[in-house]
Amino acid sequence: MRALHADPADNVAVAVQPVRAGDVLSVEQELVVTASEEIPMGHKIALRDIPAGKAVIKYGVPIGRASQDIPRGAHVHIHNIEDITEELCKEYDAEYRRRAGAK
Amino acid sequence: MNLTFNGYERANGEVGIRNYILVLSMVNCANTVAQQISWEAGVQVITHEAGCAEFSANHARTRLALLSAALNPNVFAVVLVGLGCEQTDHNSLMEEIRAAGKPAEYVGIQEERSPRRAVEKGVRLVREYLEQAERQTRKPFPISRLVLGVQCGGSDWTTALSGNISIGEMTDLLVDNGGSVIISEVNGFPGSEHIIAERAVSTEVGLAVIKMCDELREEHLALHGQTIEEVNPTPGNKAGGISTLVEKSMGNVKKMGRTSKLQGLIYAGEHVPHPGLWMLDLRAPVIDGNVTSGFAMSGAHMNVFSTGRGSPLGNAVMPVLKLTGNPVSYAEMGEFLDFNAGVILEGTPAEEVGQALLEKVISIANGEQTRSEINGNFEFIIPRENGR
Repeated sequence: MRALHADPADNVAVAVQPVRAGDVLSVEQELVVTASEEIPMGHKIALRDIPAGKAVIKYGVPIGRASQDIPRGAHVHIHNIEDITEELCKEYDAEYRRRAGAK
Repeated sequence: MNLTFNGYERANGEVGIRNYILVLSMVNCANTVAQQISWEAGVQVITHEAGCAEFSANHARTRLALLSAALNPNVFAVVLVGLGCEQTDHNSLMEEIRAAGKPAEYVGIQEERSPRRAVEKGVRLVREYLEQAERQTRKPFPISRLVLGVQCGGSDWTTALSGNISIGEMTDLLVDNGGSVIISEVNGFPGSEHIIAERAVSTEVGLAVIKMCDELREEHLALHGQTIEEVNPTPGNKAGGISTLVEKSMGNVKKMGRTSKLQGLIYAGEHVPHPGLWMLDLRAPVIDGNVTSGFAMSGAHMNVFSTGRGSPLGNAVMPVLKLTGNPVSYAEMGEFLDFNAGVILEGTPAEEVGQALLEKVISIANGEQTRSEINGNFEFIIPRENGR
């Protein structure tokens, strides 16, 4: 069974088939992860422990913040990710404008 | 990989990958005659619901769309079909098409005193153009002359993961070789402007992207009374595994590749000023055909379209290469899909799939028919922005 790593920097991978607790997923040659719970096809699995407050990284970028401690092998979705898009964009936009010397 | 393609040189120095003859309706009253010409002669037609009694801003867009489609480098010649008393000034349109070096003639239904005679005249003109087009031979050009639109629609959980990632790899390869790629679907960018701006070639371009996303947010709030963040990701997105708006938006961003720099923004009817990666700021309703037609209006030769669930999409003046990131969709819907990017899910490296996709693009540029062409999908929509 497989999980796809969209970017080498990611701390999650995507299940390319439905996964049950105990299934062993190969991600890359050296990287395998055991699912601790059911993961629907197309959903994310944690490749490392992600402590509460830390970024969930997919496609090489933070897509949200862990709202609780996420152990390796767990299903990563809306129940344990906080959507911080608005915060990210607002902070960034202000910072970019400052850097660019624009109003 | 052979980094050239065989195309048709145009009188104005542009290069086309097809020698299409286009039947162009000037006004809704002429649609049926225009369709009958296209059916009898076996060529593409553009019909629409406008062309008369339009407010000036609306009519300006109608005219821009018709002219831009006619000027697409894939079009060899144009037969304009009108009623006779319509708002669209066929003479000025025809002059602009001829000025670009393309043969163009007008068929007026009132002038012919008979719809049947108008059809006969139109068919005769098309057949003459087809003979002329047949005599033109293809010549080799470097792939740096290619302009592609990249898009996705009819999406599922594989679209971002394998479909758009393979498009992104192909984008980087083509841009590295001096070619051009246009992205659009701008409604999908708020939520990732902090990532796109970093890919901009200059701070001016980065600020333009941020400004566009700010405006899209304001427009969304004014129109719907809710922010983009409040309604995204949708329940369907979440069921498919998307957890946040950044994650959803990144699926769209992946079509930009990993390394290509965004050169700037272009607007409806504008061609890319110089090669590279460009963004078409087209704020039309979120319908696949609007974006595809927008690319055609910007002189794109081909649209590369990623679809997880399958779509028959085509365009009147461009071949549409349809790929899927879903191996099951490819196995079941091969009749309207051209390329299987789903092998990424089975372990094939994305770089390899991107390379194979560019080879497919070059083969289609050389004349290989896309499923959209084989199936006769030749749609065109006039993309209306802010209701105009």
